[in-house]
Amino acid sequence: MTVLGGIGFSAPWLLLGLLALPILWLILRAVPPAPIRRRFPGVALLLGLKDSETVSDRTPWWLLLLRMLAVAAIIIGLAGPILNPQEQQADGSGPLLIVLDGSWAGAPRWAQQSEVIDAQLTRAARANRTVGFLTLTQPEEPAFQSADVWRTRLAGLQPAPWQPSDGNITRAIEIAETLDGFDTLWFSDGLGFDGREDMLAALQDRGSVEVYQTGANVMGMAPATYEDGAITLTVKRALAGTPREVSLNAQGRDPAGNIRILATVPATFEDGAVEATAQLALPAELRARITRFDIAGQRSAGATTLVDDGLRRREVALIAGRDDREGLELLSPLHYIEQALAPSADLIDGSLADILPANPDVIVMADVATLSDAEQAPLIEWIENGGMLVRFAGPRIAASDISRDTEDPLMPVRLRAGGRSVGGAMSWGEPKSLDAFRDSSPFFGLEIPSDVVVSAQVVAQPDPTLANRVIASLSDGTPLVTRKALGQGQIVLFHVTATAEWSTLPLSGLFVQMMERLAISSSSAGIDAQDLQGTTWTPLRVMDGFGLLEDAGNLPGVDGADLAGAATGPGLQPGIYASGDRRIARNVVTAQTVLSPAKWPGDVPVRGLFVAPEKPLAGWLLSLSILLLLADVVASLALSGRLLKRSNAAAVVLLGLLYMPAPADAQDADAFALNATAEMTLAYVVTGNGAVDELSEAGLRGLSDTLFFRTSVEPANPIGVDLERDELAFFPMLYWPITPEQPRPSGDAYAKLNDYLRSGGLILFDTRDANIAGFGAASPNGRKLQELAAPLDIPPLEPLPGDHVLTRTFYLLQDFPGRHTGRDVWVESSPPDAEQIEGMPFRNLNDGVTPVVIGGNDWAAAWAVTPGGAPMVPVGRGFAGERQRELAYRFGVNLVMHVLTGNYKSDQVHVPALLDRLGQ
Amino acid sequence: MINSATLRANAEDQAARFPALLARAEHLAGAVLLGAHGRRRAGVGDDFWQYRPAQQGDSRRRIDHRRSAMGDQEFVREREWQIAQSVMLWVDQGASMRFTSDPKLPEKADRARLLGLAVAILLQRGGERVGLTGTALPPRSGTPQILRLAEAFCQDDAADYAPPEHRAMIPHARAVFISDFMGDLDGVTLALTKAADRGVRGVLCHVLDPSEEAFPFTGRTIFESMGGTIHHETLKANDLKSRYLERLAERKAELQRLCALTGWHYGLHHTNASAQSALLWLYSALDTRAGAAA
Repeated sequence: MTVLGGIGFSAPWLLLGLLALPILWLILRAVPPAPIRRRFPGVALLLGLKDSETVSDRTPWWLLLLRMLAVAAIIIGLAGPILNPQEQQADGSGPLLIVLDGSWAGAPRWAQQSEVIDAQLTRAARANRTVGFLTLTQPEEPAFQSADVWRTRLAGLQPAPWQPSDGNITRAIEIAETLDGFDTLWFSDGLGFDGREDMLAALQDRGSVEVYQTGANVMGMAPATYEDGAITLTVKRALAGTPREVSLNAQGRDPAGNIRILATVPATFEDGAVEATAQLALPAELRARITRFDIAGQRSAGATTLVDDGLRRREVALIAGRDDREGLELLSPLHYIEQALAPSADLIDGSLADILPANPDVIVMADVATLSDAEQAPLIEWIENGGMLVRFAGPRIAASDISRDTEDPLMPVRLRAGGRSVGGAMSWGEPKSLDAFRDSSPFFGLEIPSDVVVSAQVVAQPDPTLANRVIASLSDGTPLVTRKALGQGQIVLFHVTATAEWSTLPLSGLFVQMMERLAISSSSAGIDAQDLQGTTWTPLRVMDGFGLLEDAGNLPGVDGADLAGAATGPGLQPGIYASGDRRIARNVVTAQTVLSPAKWPGDVPVRGLFVAPEKPLAGWLLSLSILLLLADVVASLALSGRLLKRSNAAAVVLLGLLYMPAPADAQDADAFALNATAEMTLAYVVTGNGAVDELSEAGLRGLSDTLFFRTSVEPANPIGVDLERDELAFFPMLYWPITPEQPRPSGDAYAKLNDYLRSGGLILFDTRDANIAGFGAASPNGRKLQELAAPLDIPPLEPLPGDHVLTRTFYLLQDFPGRHTGRDVWVESSPPDAEQIEGMPFRNLNDGVTPVVIGGNDWAAAWAVTPGGAPMVPVGRGFAGERQRELAYRFGVNLVMHVLTGNYKSDQVHVPALLDRLGQ
Repeated sequence: MINSATLRANAEDQAARFPALLARAEHLAGAVLLGAHGRRRAGVGDDFWQYRPAQQGDSRRRIDHRRSAMGDQEFVREREWQIAQSVMLWVDQGASMRFTSDPKLPEKADRARLLGLAVAILLQRGGERVGLTGTALPPRSGTPQILRLAEAFCQDDAADYAPPEHRAMIPHARAVFISDFMGDLDGVTLALTKAADRGVRGVLCHVLDPSEEAFPFTGRTIFESMGGTIHHETLKANDLKSRYLERLAERKAELQRLCALTGWHYGLHHTNASAQSALLWLYSALDTRAGAAA
């Protein structure tokens, strides 16, 4: 294969054919285009005229160029061009050191990288080179061995879930300096790290360095945070580039216990941005199941974020001893605890009996002294199953005998009667402050503000077990918070109130931190070094470089401060860490992490990991030549003036083939909506019968004109609606002429019609047969009407009563003639309880607009006018006929007024005016 | 064998053209107001000419009693002599006339027949006798003659270039020749000289398509006559333009010269111009006294 300019040719000699192009050019220039035959009577005058030159009109240069390009494309296409031909590299000699970054960033492309390493090992084996491996994340003295040996061990190379640290690099440089004379292949993961330049310099000292680095972007995900009801996920990438959307998966156990993707949310990197965020709002139940988030298609520890208690919002039930003091919110025993817990826990209110079946995580009881046996037993059972009961003392507990002589099962300690008061007006001493927390206490490490003082408390009886149960005490050693385990659960007692009455503890930030430490609330601010100071965390499960969780085994515990702040390394592997009841997930990428791309100096050759597959171009070029030849056909035709004469049809067919019409339904629907809503529009149902539809349109046009001239209703031109396709909601009323042959609307159309009727639309059904058969089954139109209207949601009907609002919405009418003068027009029946009041001309009838008006008077025919305004259909005879037409128009006006104004004219306010008009 | 459907369709097509041509011709003719057409001498006619004293031999019935009662002498009222002229039409039916360069323009034949028939209608309304040259349709007066003319105009001639019909010309009649005069000029010369010999004066109406005046052709072209009998191939059509136009101008000059010799009028009409103006010119040219300048 010959490679020319990055493109290989399987038959390069064919390219010599390109030399023939100039000759072809000359020939094409010399050969005249085919003559055009023209009929021309003036030919008689031409006879005997000789051409002044024998050269014909030259083919225009661009047409020649087009043909040349077509021929060139054929020649090149046949020469078998191949993009990305596999090129040969020269094999080197001497030892070869393969340096791997070996961090999580390379994990998504680890398999590719292994393939390339394998290929390089094969080459090295061919050249009899010894090979050593140096992984920067775990630098060890490389053993130079035969490449074939390494090939068998290649599968054992795994990425580490951390980046090379300074220590790693220093060690690696030391190692490199002990070796002599080797070439280096450095497989970079694409992320930059400190000391990389030094490492490179050290390697370059020893021999040539060649870098393999993927062009793919490294992505990482910062820990998920929970704010304002939504989980915020932040994704980072190393290279700010083009906009890109990634989808983020939330994984967790489904109810059957299988790990699966519970939710997926897209995140979009804006152009030039290295960070993208996505919001994921999930129900609490689902949210609690999530164990990890990862970026779809990015299988690495960095692209995975484990979920700890931060996302899990505990359900806390609050029960207060007294609810009788309404309105004094700051004195409410639960006010401070609500304030402390509300941002980070889901609070439940209710009685104990209601709460327990909901199985909350924590129940807080503020100053509740006694519980009935019926409450106590299930509460104990709940605690034994892992519940946590937090009790606050208060006047009631102090006054009660609870846990006095014997320890109450729901109290951690026995209490002395009455409690004590310090620093008050009637007592000795100053209010007591808190003692530092002991290291066995869950509160160990919390800083105690100096302004937290306790002025009253209940006091624990000294018991043998008391010392073990105290987790916080006052400066004089009096227990302040005691705790005991009960089954799998625990009971915690604060010896002060949950309000600020006995102590300032509920007013301080310490209170909130204590709640967090007790795992009652979960911090939404993420892990914080300050917060974790002085704690030790043991790894439960740790992640490998691919982001898979594995058992931590006997890995040592880590200091809390490191867990929060330090970068991941061999001593701090990402994973789930536990301390007491609290779980913290440590992720590779934190909110502060900046992913910086690895940049290499210009003298270091950088190769991609991705070996582009060979891509034959012959097909494309041959297609191109065909397209060019097609263009040549069109151009030649156009040039000789034949394109638009004889080839009209052919050209149209060609264009039709090239440009398939795009479906324009959406545009149509929009245009229809605009058309229908720009102005008030009357509409008729298209029946499919051309004559009827035309008459409907003309009828509504006539009615619209009449409305325009006589009333303030100014409709636009009427519109025919296709029930299957068009939206009906735009039209105040539909005129629906019945023809026996019209198709039944589909189910969807009926759903739309029923929607329309329920939301205040009116349909005027017109059987157009003068109702000759009544609404029995005899007339075909009547039968059709029954068939069409059966699925419609139509209320009970009655013949239009004399006092129906339709008789007076604009004109006072008794009859409703169209082209026929049938009397019966049916409307929604009036409510059975409507009764005529003595002296009133009409009853106070049903509210709202009748959804249907059914008649057979062929109103559209009476209304119909030509665009010029002349009536289209004769009505009646002579003058009486014109009167009938006028009444038909008046009915139409009344109907539209009824639709638009509803029962306005039904209001008795109009009675005097109407009585006056009626002459009563 | 002709398919009956085709035959009928063709027949209907033909039949449809006939009244259309007639109607259009009538329409065109209706736009021209007829002027007086007297002979300026006493004779048979409707218009008053003069009173003259009754002479021996005058029929008593011819005495105008209203005039005679004014004196003792008896007068006879004489009317102007009004006599019908014979006008012979020759409209070129050759294939070359059935050419149009643009579908929006009428064919030359169409325009020529329209003009011919319209002028015939005008003449017939003026009381003249109208007919075709040759023996097929001698001049007659009356409306039916228009129908016969229209019928005759609907017949196409297969020949590429038809020479003017010059037989059976009535002495001292008038003649109208409408053609593109693209064929051999000898025929025209012969017809005109023969006509001049018999004292027939008339009008040559030269109908041309705009493309025949402009010659807007380029490139390698084979020109064919409408009947396909004559070919001329050129490699560069635009090269021929000036020489073609030269020849056309020569031809026009030759026709004008002939007309001047024989006392005919020569007029040029393009199919993209209005038929009305051509008709007006035709009519006025026919109406001028013999010997008057064109």
